[in-house]
Amino acid sequence: MVNLQNVSKSYKNGVNALNDITIEIKDGEFVYVIGETGSGKSTFIKLLDGEEIPTKGRVEVNGVNVGKLRFSKVPLYRRNIGVVFQDYRLIESKTVFENIAFALEVINKPRREIRQRVREVLEIIDLVDKAKSFPSELSGGQQQRVTIGRAIANNPRLLIADEPTGNLDPERSNEIVELLEKINEAGTTVIMVTHDINLVNKYRKRTIKFEYGHVVSDSREGGYVAHV
Amino acid sequence: MFRLIGRHFKEAFQGIFRHFSSSLNSITAVTVTLLLVSLLTLIIGNVSQITKTLEDEVKIFVKIEDEVEDAEIPALTRKVENVEGVSMVEFSDKDSELDKFIKEYGEEGKLFEIYREDNPLSRAFIVSLREGYSISDVASRLEKVKGLTGVEFGGVSTEQFLKVLNGVRQGGYVIVLALTLVAIFLIQNTINQTIFNRRLEISIMRQVGASNSYIRQPFVIEGIFIGLMGSVAPVLATIFGYKYIYETVGGQLVSGMLTLQPVYPFAFYVSAFLVVVGIVVGLIGSFLSVNKHLRWRR
Repeated sequence: MVNLQNVSKSYKNGVNALNDITIEIKDGEFVYVIGETGSGKSTFIKLLDGEEIPTKGRVEVNGVNVGKLRFSKVPLYRRNIGVVFQDYRLIESKTVFENIAFALEVINKPRREIRQRVREVLEIIDLVDKAKSFPSELSGGQQQRVTIGRAIANNPRLLIADEPTGNLDPERSNEIVELLEKINEAGTTVIMVTHDINLVNKYRKRTIKFEYGHVVSDSREGGYVAHV
Repeated sequence: MFRLIGRHFKEAFQGIFRHFSSSLNSITAVTVTLLLVSLLTLIIGNVSQITKTLEDEVKIFVKIEDEVEDAEIPALTRKVENVEGVSMVEFSDKDSELDKFIKEYGEEGKLFEIYREDNPLSRAFIVSLREGYSISDVASRLEKVKGLTGVEFGGVSTEQFLKVLNGVRQGGYVIVLALTLVAIFLIQNTINQTIFNRRLEISIMRQVGASNSYIRQPFVIEGIFIGLMGSVAPVLATIFGYKYIYETVGGQLVSGMLTLQPVYPFAFYVSAFLVVVGIVVGLIGSFLSVNKHLRWRR
């Protein structure tokens, strides 16, 4: 599903965000990516969704060489992956329903199918009663659930969540992880970036730890492994 | 296909109404510049009209020497026609010259009827000018033609007036062009502002898989609508304002010679021009802006 081969990324300002990373994530896995701020987690996500191009190495997702995509082809590639951001990135001028429907409209699904799918998604994220609300009228946890709903609307094979619980209190965080687990059980590969150690220890999954642009641990048993 | 177009229109309208204040800014910018364009176009249109009328009216009067035989007149006519800058030559014999003379003096002119038998007046050519030629240049060329004497024309003042009008007309074109460019720049800037505020929205669209052309279309349609809405007030002002001015001055300036363009169809042509300029400017402006902001995030 996801395959990084000797990937390095340095930015124009001279920061070496990632150094010679090799990671393989299989279909149907649920993986945590943890690390301090500046450890390279965000760059890892940006390489996966095509926002950044690797300086060296090869990033392959779903058989697509992401680093070689042309600017205009990037959105087309993204139709097969869902991305959830810490800052939600909802369209403020659209209602919850429209925000989710939007991801289906851009790939030109018929209107009836869109309505049906959006209702399904609203069920999954448990926001049926908020369908007509605007994002500004929702709490943080609700907005994050809308983002997840939008990301899974067109049944992507890979869901990437970048600090989805970053702005939420523990209880809402648990809800979000449980929602992601539900999505994972339905067959979607999930990569969740977080620095919330409590969550990682509570819902044990494969955990990859980044430090200074290197992978310092990749534990199949899950849970947070203290410095070796 | 229709589904897609429907969605783009829906997006465009939602865009206009949900960002109404910035749309209003853009519309105002279009309106103000189009009002200026309208004013200038009206002036140019009328100046051209007046220049043309004047040029048509300006004629050179050339007397023919009495020694020239009547039989030689056709040959002389051809000679005059071949002078550079001459478009039309009309021959006027002694009798018609006298008629004109008498007519000019009105009632008293009848006294001159006694000269009918022994006419002291000369035969003459009335020469019309080709467009763009200076009267005095053509006059001096005519003076050199053998068999002609006494070249007369409206004088230097007419010529200078025409020069001024031509200057106004050409200057007007330049100003309209400059103003249109300024309008594009202005509108691009305001639409730019609108789109800048929605940069995040654009990056989100790319994030959820919207292709570039898909993202561009609602903005471009919005730009066209903004241009269209911005041209409403100028069009109304053009038609009713021009009608008012036309009726107030009675369709002419100073004297009957300086007639204005009639309201119909002139004001409507100008209006159509304004609508087209508004649409084109909105389209170009929004297209350039979106393209720029599409590249904000990969």
